[in-house]
Amino acid sequence: MTTVIVFDEAYLRHEQSPDHPERRERLSYTFDQLREDGIFDHPSFRHVFPVEATQEQVARVHLPEYISFLKEASTRGGFIDFDTVVPRGLLPLALLAAGGAIRAALSVLRGDGENAFALVRPPGHHARAGTGAGFCYLNNMAIAVREIQQQGIRRVMILDWDAHHGDGTQSIFYGDSSVLFTSIHQRPLYPGSGDTSEIGEGDGMGYTVNMPVPPGTGDGSYHYLFDTIIAPLAREFAPDFIAISAGQDVHFTDPLAGLAVTARGYAELVRKARQLAGEVCGGRLVAVLEGGYSVEGGLPYTNLGIAAALAGLDLENIREPEVFADWLLKAQDPSAHQRVCRMADTLRETLAPYWECFSF
Amino acid sequence: MLVGMDVGGTNTDLAVVEDGISSLKVPNTRGIADVLHHVRGPGRLAVSTSTPLNHLLTRRDWKVTSLLIPGPGLRWPGGVKGAVNHCGDIVEEVDREEVTSFLASHPADALAVIGKFSVRNPALEQKVAEYARGFYPDERICLSHPLAVLGFPARVATTRLNASLKEEVFRITKLVESERNTFLFFRGDAGLSPPGDVIRNPSVLTNSSAAAVGLGVSYLTGLRDCLVIDVGGTTTDLVPLESGMPIPEVLVHEGTRTATHVVRAHSLPFGGDSVIRDGLMPWREGNALAFGGSGPTLTDALNRTGFEIGDYHASSGLDRRLAEQVVDEYCRKVAEAVQGFDSPRIAGCGYLAPFLVPEIAREAGRQFSIPPHAECANAIGVAVSRVSLTLVAHFDGVRGRSVVNGEVRRMERMGDEDELVESCRQEVRRQALEAGAHPRDLDEIRVLTCSSYDVVRGAFRRSRITDIVVQVAPGITVEAR
Repeated sequence: MTTVIVFDEAYLRHEQSPDHPERRERLSYTFDQLREDGIFDHPSFRHVFPVEATQEQVARVHLPEYISFLKEASTRGGFIDFDTVVPRGLLPLALLAAGGAIRAALSVLRGDGENAFALVRPPGHHARAGTGAGFCYLNNMAIAVREIQQQGIRRVMILDWDAHHGDGTQSIFYGDSSVLFTSIHQRPLYPGSGDTSEIGEGDGMGYTVNMPVPPGTGDGSYHYLFDTIIAPLAREFAPDFIAISAGQDVHFTDPLAGLAVTARGYAELVRKARQLAGEVCGGRLVAVLEGGYSVEGGLPYTNLGIAAALAGLDLENIREPEVFADWLLKAQDPSAHQRVCRMADTLRETLAPYWECFSF
Repeated sequence: MLVGMDVGGTNTDLAVVEDGISSLKVPNTRGIADVLHHVRGPGRLAVSTSTPLNHLLTRRDWKVTSLLIPGPGLRWPGGVKGAVNHCGDIVEEVDREEVTSFLASHPADALAVIGKFSVRNPALEQKVAEYARGFYPDERICLSHPLAVLGFPARVATTRLNASLKEEVFRITKLVESERNTFLFFRGDAGLSPPGDVIRNPSVLTNSSAAAVGLGVSYLTGLRDCLVIDVGGTTTDLVPLESGMPIPEVLVHEGTRTATHVVRAHSLPFGGDSVIRDGLMPWREGNALAFGGSGPTLTDALNRTGFEIGDYHASSGLDRRLAEQVVDEYCRKVAEAVQGFDSPRIAGCGYLAPFLVPEIAREAGRQFSIPPHAECANAIGVAVSRVSLTLVAHFDGVRGRSVVNGEVRRMERMGDEDELVESCRQEVRRQALEAGAHPRDLDEIRVLTCSSYDVVRGAFRRSRITDIVVQVAPGITVEAR
């Protein structure tokens, strides 16, 4: 069994400004950790280099006028919002990130690996058809999903685990019953969307599933939501492919969010996703990096954990160093789980008309 | 004067390159000290010793214990507590009691200590080594941080290999130093290193005989791309040359990739001393009959097919038909191995090359040449090599420290990239000169890696982290040109 790792040192080049949270440093330490743990030489992994996404692949998701804007802004510099400026030379790097997600998904489809992890930058899940936002320019996940659908995959289930709601991905697939979009995210938090009442439109009614969780939510609640919402939905939807938007700002040390997930907890979630994929779609599973801004305490360990879980390795030693133990205690809110359970009840009630697994 | 010495499985070859080339072959039975008496004059001595080390590796009764400090990450059984993070901060301390209890319950001949990210901060490995001195002498303790490169599994494999070699390399160093004040080791990537560096990482000696013949043939023939066939006493080695140099590749030991690069070589277990029974056997028991041995070998078979090697009359007891069959079998096996290489031309070396390589080339359908001094191309390669060093540096402006080849230093000021690259160039130049490099060999210092990123804390740019790798590459010294 092989897990494909898509990575290119070019992913360390993109930078909006040296002190922007979405900066090179995000992946530098992760790259060091993966090299030190021998991932690139490990028999369970295969390192694959990305190629830029093509105009045609991008145009399946993004509007022509937005692509033209990005092209122009990329040569002169440009502005989308206060979090998302367009530095000169962005476009090739954004295309390489989208191309990395495509490469990962196609690697799985073609049997080059059982599953894959695309360690890409810049992230994508806030990017909508007509605009970028929240550090994102092209929606890497959506572009990859449309590419594999072009290759014959019919139904795709997306598990968005970034702390911020994947509003861009949601909007792209909101009316589409071929893509079941699920998101666990902190609320309140940017971008503010992702309520349980947002469940899709038209043909896509019931195919958007939002699980907003309060600050302080930890491993136990995430696993509860996986076991009681995500897994039953997957069994009923019977996707041909599962794709994880692997945001890691859920980590308890992340400076931009307030959740309390550990590296081990995240890795165990991915292990469950791998088992679920094995059960419902022949193991076809891809993870694409989204956010995550704890460059030292979080990302190196969670990224390694995701890779290890995808490869089916022992997760016993996936952990943060002991010096972070107090941080975890401070990040956890013991009352959060009850609120998560109440949210899950509401969600099941809302979705009951669309999913037998939630009908009473 | 450049003196090269290659200690093989049977003989030690010596070559002196000055205005011309002179060479000498001495049986190993006379010992290294005796060989060194032949080179008492001035000049630079370089020594290649891979073959005795290869023998050491086959010792079945030698046991190496690995003490791992794996920290967070993939699971490694047998580890002790303690962790260094990617920035070189100690984030978990080692526990002396746990370490000594581990050492007491895992007795062995040598100890390999490997800590994750020790190349960013060796303090935990050094602490464990201090505790281990109650159990092992220094010559039997190997640490991984001098390897300087990231890759914990590769450092585990390399340090284990080093632990099984260190004491022998230490012994050879002392032996040579008792005869010569200074000398250099010839590495398996065809470069020269001072003994101290090699004692810290003896794995670099692996394949050095193959590297030596490759460099020697390049020097003698000027061929840029060819396949060198070195017909030795115990083995026949095939070494491809590209752009006039052997090709470096990662050393794989016991099926695991190491952190060491050595030249690409394919070794066949047949040579001039290979025993003949009802065919050619893949082992050596002693010399050929023609050289005073007690049983027939491939060399005797050649004599029975019409050559006059050594005391060729002594080979007459070997059945002629069997001798022809054995020579054919040998040439066919080597020719088959040649097919695994693209090189259009073969260059033969080793004492028996003139008798065997023409037939191998015919079987393989390749052109061939056998340069003058082919019988001692290995020792010539050792003699004409140059000092080559690699410097791996990690500069951390936030913490005000740098780590250079696994050694931590305080850093008062973080310069810009150009300044840091220049400081690395100067440092590797200084080290190479100290090791005995010719100044003109240092005209080209390659920058293999240079990358930087800003470190931001609390929304402010604090400083930068820069990684630089510079190298004086292996090659032929200007002194020999």
